[in-house]
Amino acid sequence: MNEKNGYVELRNINKSYGDFQASRDINISISRGKLAALLGPSGSGKTTILRMIAGLEHPDSGQILIDGKVVNDVPGSERGIGFVFQSYALFRYMTVFENIAFGLRVKKVPEERIRDKVDELLRLIGCEGLEKRYPSQLSGGQRQRVAFARALAPDPQILLLDEPFAAIDAKVRLELRTWLREMISRIGITSIFVTHDQDEAIEVADEIIVTNRGRVEQAGTPTELYARPATPFVARFIGNSVPVANYGSFRFFEDAGEDSLGIVRPEFISIFKKGESVQFAKSAEEGTVEDIIFRGSSLEIRVRIHGNVLSALRSFNDPEIRVGEKVDVFLHRMFIIRGDEVYPALNQSLRTESVFL
Amino acid sequence: MKLRNNSGPAKWILILLVSIFLAVFLILPLVYILMTALGRGLGVYRAAVTDPYAVKALLLTLRATLWAVAVNTLFGIAAAWCLTKYAFRGKKIISTLIDLPVTVSPIIAGLIYVLTFGRQSFLYPILDSRGIQIIFAVPGIILATIFVTFPFISRELIPVLTAQGTDEEEAAALMGAGTWTIFRRVTFPHIKWALLYGIVLCTARAMGEFGAVSVLSGHLRGKTNTLPLYIELLYQGYDFTGAFAASSLLVIMAVIVLILRIFLEHRGKKELDLHK
Amino acid sequence: MKPVKNKSIIPGFGLSFGLTITILSLVVLLPLCSLVVFTLKLTPSEFLYTITRPRVLSGYRVSILTALAASLVNAVMGLVMAWVLVRYEFPGKKIIDGIIELPFALPTAVAGISLTHLTTTNGWVGKIFYERFGIRIAYTRLGITIALIFIGIPFVVRSVQPVLEKVDLQYEEAAMILGADRRTTFLRVIFPEILPSLISGFTLAFARSIGEYGSVVFIAGNTPYETEIAPLLIMSELQEFDYTAATSIALVMLAIAFVILSVNAVLQSIVSRRVSGLA
Repeated sequence: MNEKNGYVELRNINKSYGDFQASRDINISISRGKLAALLGPSGSGKTTILRMIAGLEHPDSGQILIDGKVVNDVPGSERGIGFVFQSYALFRYMTVFENIAFGLRVKKVPEERIRDKVDELLRLIGCEGLEKRYPSQLSGGQRQRVAFARALAPDPQILLLDEPFAAIDAKVRLELRTWLREMISRIGITSIFVTHDQDEAIEVADEIIVTNRGRVEQAGTPTELYARPATPFVARFIGNSVPVANYGSFRFFEDAGEDSLGIVRPEFISIFKKGESVQFAKSAEEGTVEDIIFRGSSLEIRVRIHGNVLSALRSFNDPEIRVGEKVDVFLHRMFIIRGDEVYPALNQSLRTESVFL
Repeated sequence: MKLRNNSGPAKWILILLVSIFLAVFLILPLVYILMTALGRGLGVYRAAVTDPYAVKALLLTLRATLWAVAVNTLFGIAAAWCLTKYAFRGKKIISTLIDLPVTVSPIIAGLIYVLTFGRQSFLYPILDSRGIQIIFAVPGIILATIFVTFPFISRELIPVLTAQGTDEEEAAALMGAGTWTIFRRVTFPHIKWALLYGIVLCTARAMGEFGAVSVLSGHLRGKTNTLPLYIELLYQGYDFTGAFAASSLLVIMAVIVLILRIFLEHRGKKELDLHK
Repeated sequence: MKPVKNKSIIPGFGLSFGLTITILSLVVLLPLCSLVVFTLKLTPSEFLYTITRPRVLSGYRVSILTALAASLVNAVMGLVMAWVLVRYEFPGKKIIDGIIELPFALPTAVAGISLTHLTTTNGWVGKIFYERFGIRIAYTRLGITIALIFIGIPFVVRSVQPVLEKVDLQYEEAAMILGADRRTTFLRVIFPEILPSLISGFTLAFARSIGEYGSVVFIAGNTPYETEIAPLLIMSELQEFDYTAATSIALVMLAIAFVILSVNAVLQSIVSRRVSGLA
């Protein structure tokens, strides 16, 4: 097999529902054994992509390939796919055991092997002893695990998960993310999941495909997306980005002309009490603290500068800052959006030696 | 919660009003039928309900009811499945057509069957040459009964299947399950109680249908008289005891239906809560 | 015709669609087509002659007036019953809730003969009214109305009840805290919420009553121009094998039913638009 080709590939896929175009010329390639995330706001077409790979929907044009073979006309049940639905779609009138066993029964696997396989999966998901319960008698997290086991029972080649954490409480969600990541890497199955939560995608996935308005905006590792956004949408969507229109009024940044926009993330900013920093003393600018929000592990400082309110993070170990205080604000860098382009801009003072004097 | 209890005399006046209204309009006629039926003693009653013509009428009613339930169950399941599990054009038209039979007068229902299979219809020569008679015969009665109860089962199933969605069926289909497996193991448990409920309603209406059957029946005693038609015949012949005795059979049926209805609704709700 | 194809992954579309269309065609479409074909064969003059006969016009009038009266009574009583069933707790509530369905379960002919016997001048109820007030019930329009009230009882209750159950008590509590009295609260807060369901329950009962035959035919007495209802006129034409006349009368009745249901649909959309603020 050609190394360059992905295990799951979509080529020039288009799909419309009436007047609504859900997919526009989608091209995606996912390597074998990887865990990929389809990330985008709701209505961006990510679930449609997942459902097309599963054979639940059919593209109007374009090709879907699995392991190098075009599968457009192969029914979903023969594509070697395990699917975890957003609402899990557990069979409500079957016990946990029967839910997991269903795919094996359909394949007429001998009863003994079904029993072994289900027991093995129950152990894997840590739900031993729940096999006689009905889905309604399980917690959200347990339901998700059962849905996962049910999808894995017939030994699929690809695992697809539609918003796997959407229906779960915030606290359990964090646990399940880690659990799912570990599970998938232990089994080594090629997996694709849909999410609208960037933290989830960044934390869990090897590779992220960002979708917007039916298009793929960018595909890459979390680090790539974070450090080198390819499109304005990605620059604004990833991270807690704040758009700054008059970014040219910041010292050491050059205005790129009309219709351009600066994008600032909290981690691009350092905030110091007056006189706290020697390093940035000359190149920093003055701002006023508007609000301080407790974020659990850090403090979010909202500071007004040049008519913009920017957010920055500060550790509890740093000297205390109060609301209304005048502070030094140093902007390390930002992204500049001009037209369809995005490029990084570094604080120019960092390039000149004078800063260190 | 305070609002509920803080209603004073208005509450009891309204409850009294409702009770009197229902007692006069619903209970009284029911009691009257039973009392008149038994008015001349148990012996007369027994003779009236075991009269060979009464028995034949009852059997014909049961036969038509059985047909209506069978056809409408098959149709109801197919239509509800088809309308709720797939996306296609023309759904609205189909569901309007399904509901149509209960919105037309039973007499008009009878009339359109007469127009379809009667002497002036283009179908008549074809059917006649094969010796098939539909109107003024048993097949007409059966068809009319199917028609007037047509949406009864699908109408119970469609909301249940709509609420359930298509996720479970999709999941089963993705694992390679066939139509029959999906229906039997995944869908059927959801609609079980609604189906039974629909069958009960269909049975009640089928056994009691009068107008449409009256048009299509030849009114032949012992041949094409259903129980309601037989009651009309007795009544018009001033055999009131007989008429009310025969009616009492249908009253008992109605009461059973009401009790079953409450029971099924209760069970269905309980099961739904269990598997929510 | 284009074959209907479905690409859903759920199998069984062909089977279920095929069964649905086949049975629907045989039971509903075929008879409906016959009606259309037969209607096209009617000449306008035949049609107009039949439906403008005084006896036929009187039949329509009797049907509409009695159905209207009965449905109005049912609208008021249905609202009260729904209110009592939703808002109050009292012994025997379950029984009342169950009994309301009786008109659906009891064969119309059985109800008809029972109501007739009760309301003749020497029946249990009819006697009281006749001897005390000189009012005859059976074999008058009043009798027809009584029978139609009987069969129409469940419609309004079952239409309003679920909606009333969903009207949040918090609305009322909010209105009362703002100083509205009980009457204002009902008229301004609750009534607008349940009005659409009341209208649709009323129209369903009205449409059903106009076509009703079994329960009415015994109590009506069927005196021409007085207590002869339209469905009975169709029946008598059928018994004389005059299909042309029967169909003509029926077409007007179908048109009336269609108008009633359309008016309801229009009213529903107006009311729901007002509630959702799009008007």
